[in-house]
Amino acid sequence: MSSHSFAKALVVAKDEWRYWLRSKLAISVLVIGLLLTLSSVIVTAVTMMELSHTRSSLQDTAEQTFVDQPDRHPHRMVHYGHYAFRVPSPLSTIDPGVDAFTGNSIFLEGHRQNSAMFADQKQGTALTSLGSLSPAFILQVLAPLLLILIAYSSVSRERESQTLSFIVSQGTSIFTLIIGKGLALLCVVGLIMLPLIASSGIAIMQGESIVVVLSFLSAYILYLLVWSLVVLLVSTAVSKNSESFTALLFVWILFCIVMPRIASSTASASIVSPGKLETDFAVIAELRKLGDGHNANDPAFSQLKASLLRQYSVQTVEELPINFRGAVARASEAQLTEVLNRFAENSMQEELAQTQLARSFGWLSPMVAIRSLSMISAGTSIETHHRFMREAEDLRFSFVQSLNQVHVNKLNYADDMNRNANAEAGQKARVSAENWQMIQDFEFQLESASARLQRSLPAFAQLFMWIAIAGALIRFFGRRAV
Amino acid sequence: MTYLFKQIGREWRFMLRQRYVLILLLCSFLVSGFAVFTGLAEVAQQQQTIERLKLADVRDRLEAQAKYNDPGSLAYYSFHLTYSEPSSLAFAALGERDVYPWKHRVRMLALEGQIYESDSQNAELAQAGKIDFVFVISALAPLFIILLFHDLIASERSSGRHDLLVSTAKSKYALWGSRGLVRFGAVVLCLMLPFYIGAMISSTGFQAVLLISLWCVVYLAFWTVLSVWLGKNLASAPRIASMLIACWVLLAFVLPILSDLLINNSVHSAKGGDILLTQRETVNDAWDLPVSTTMEAFVTTHPQYSDYSHQGEGFDWGWYYAFQQVGDQAAGEFSNDYRAAAANKYKLAGYATLLSPPLLLQRKLNRLANTDALAAFEYEQDIRDFHKALRMAYYPWLFAQEKFDKTHLTSLPQFKDSTHNYKKVQNEQ
Repeated sequence: MSSHSFAKALVVAKDEWRYWLRSKLAISVLVIGLLLTLSSVIVTAVTMMELSHTRSSLQDTAEQTFVDQPDRHPHRMVHYGHYAFRVPSPLSTIDPGVDAFTGNSIFLEGHRQNSAMFADQKQGTALTSLGSLSPAFILQVLAPLLLILIAYSSVSRERESQTLSFIVSQGTSIFTLIIGKGLALLCVVGLIMLPLIASSGIAIMQGESIVVVLSFLSAYILYLLVWSLVVLLVSTAVSKNSESFTALLFVWILFCIVMPRIASSTASASIVSPGKLETDFAVIAELRKLGDGHNANDPAFSQLKASLLRQYSVQTVEELPINFRGAVARASEAQLTEVLNRFAENSMQEELAQTQLARSFGWLSPMVAIRSLSMISAGTSIETHHRFMREAEDLRFSFVQSLNQVHVNKLNYADDMNRNANAEAGQKARVSAENWQMIQDFEFQLESASARLQRSLPAFAQLFMWIAIAGALIRFFGRRAV
Repeated sequence: MTYLFKQIGREWRFMLRQRYVLILLLCSFLVSGFAVFTGLAEVAQQQQTIERLKLADVRDRLEAQAKYNDPGSLAYYSFHLTYSEPSSLAFAALGERDVYPWKHRVRMLALEGQIYESDSQNAELAQAGKIDFVFVISALAPLFIILLFHDLIASERSSGRHDLLVSTAKSKYALWGSRGLVRFGAVVLCLMLPFYIGAMISSTGFQAVLLISLWCVVYLAFWTVLSVWLGKNLASAPRIASMLIACWVLLAFVLPILSDLLINNSVHSAKGGDILLTQRETVNDAWDLPVSTTMEAFVTTHPQYSDYSHQGEGFDWGWYYAFQQVGDQAAGEFSNDYRAAAANKYKLAGYATLLSPPLLLQRKLNRLANTDALAAFEYEQDIRDFHKALRMAYYPWLFAQEKFDKTHLTSLPQFKDSTHNYKKVQNEQ
């Protein structure tokens, strides 16, 4: 594009802005849109920061109460358990994603993998079932509508009032005109993005990677660019303002309202994920084969017994220098965790397969593409939740096995076997509270920036495809238009 | 009369020649059909899951019962399935069954430690929401109606036929009325037909179908009247549509979201974590407390077991289950508060939906289909009742030294499907 025609495009853009500022509809739509974005950014940021603060202080309290427990039998502490809380990611102030839909705390105890509890949505009002106040929702669903309302007539208006042929005959090519209108729309996009950019700045200060934030913001810009192109395309392709408006509205309904839900309905109907309760039966059946770790005489542990006796060259478990009950508890926890992890991993893979099927609808709707891209980058997608489940499981396994280790080394077998005889014997079968200090500080960490960026590549490809298609169609219809 | 039919016949033929109207009608039919189809599939999946769970549950419990002989161990190792079947309307209103659990297994340990476990479905799909008939009618149909009706008059005006049409017609009601009626009838038919087919497949009650039809028609008529009325007063079609879309955004998003914000900031409750923490501390501390402390707290709520005597000095199942129950009692206040807050929010949300016809319709239909939060609360209460019945059945063996043999296991309480409430709901409506 020559600098001459670029100057012309700038004139067109300025002219378009002058038209909008004179039009009551455009100006009110713009003001309402900006107010909505701004208020959603503020409200969501405050809410998520509060949540983050509450959860990290709950985590500290949980660690403190664990350490403060009195002298006890170590296995009692295994059942006393511990908690892990998922602190929301910095960018969740823009896209809270699945945060309210998954529980955000897990109770960790021996022999069991619990699910996350207390999803905020369950204490909700169901009033947000059509849309929430998050900036993500406003930008993904309402911002395109705003672009349509402002610019549906950008080219068709010129045609309807017959100024188009006049402009073209004056030597301005149709593409210069479209580019000018596009530039004007890009300014609108920039305005809408301002509150988002400010909020992302805060996320960077809270430790979010700059690369992720840049990719997050550019994804939204690409998305709004797709819509700007679609608006220009339809406005160029049809002959009347009213037709342009109706067609754009129809496209918006299809892309933003219908497709996301069709995607999730299709995913859940075509990939069946049995759910935790059902896999629990399979887990229980497997676990029965392993034997009960509370019962040192369970025949399932005879092999362990034989090998320990051989290792220490003694005849009976009483002669062992270690506590045999503790050794059984340790071995059985390890076996059981292996089974539990296998099933947990399996159901996470099923969930992931469902999610990926839903995400592939990004080829059919740019809104689905930006939705997954946004959640993935912000670290509020299902993958981050899975990561939380895995990290919580690591924490569970490590504290349970540390306690079992204490059980093996620091508690005498004879005292242990005698623990239920009377109160005094019960007192004797305890270990010092100092041992509880081994609990690790848990702080949930997001996946690395590169992992999230890599995961968001397909959605970027989807957005670029939309831009390419819209651009090509604009070329095609632009040629025909004159 | 024949004049009316002639008018309608003419308008019908006129509509069939308008490509854009036909496309919209086809779309509304397809979307509604898809929603009903996936709704039916979802409900079938839920039913099959429950059937599989029922079988597995019985098998699992029999295995546990074969392995142990004393009531204490039997109660510890047997789990019991509870569930809430989808109603015959659930296919049209999937409601909040992807947020609240509808299946749960409990045993005789402290209930507050078990009941918040949730076997929820894929969170990312739940966040996007599913497409069901209720969504199609409440959120999408108004948009289709806006597209169909906003230019009813304006399009004739812009194509220059308006004055001719008005001056040749017998009355303006005959002209616009019959045209509007034909379009309205067509769109209602396209939207509702899949629902009727779905209702036939899942043998929904006739009354419920009738009631839903009535609400849907009233709701769609509201949007039609709004569209036509606004269209009468404004000249340019895009202007009318913008106003209508603004109304839709206001009613479907803005007002509900603001009410949600207001309600969430005005209703405070115990944190879920507090319930769990109190329960856990009480249960775990009990191991170190004298047996009498726990038993006194237990007997105040269960006076019939006041002559229970602890067996020996160490572990005893009676004492164990007593402190489980005392744990629940200690957390009881938090738990009631937590549930009361949820119920209160549901009630307040009811007032808020009066400002938002789309959500009012959703709420009404989800209530009728028993798939809303209230149904979930009732299901939770059913679990609590069942847990209580289970405890009452075991307690005589644990605390009153009543003779136990394993044939008694057959007389243990059985969980009955939670949707028996369904009939109750329909009678209320």
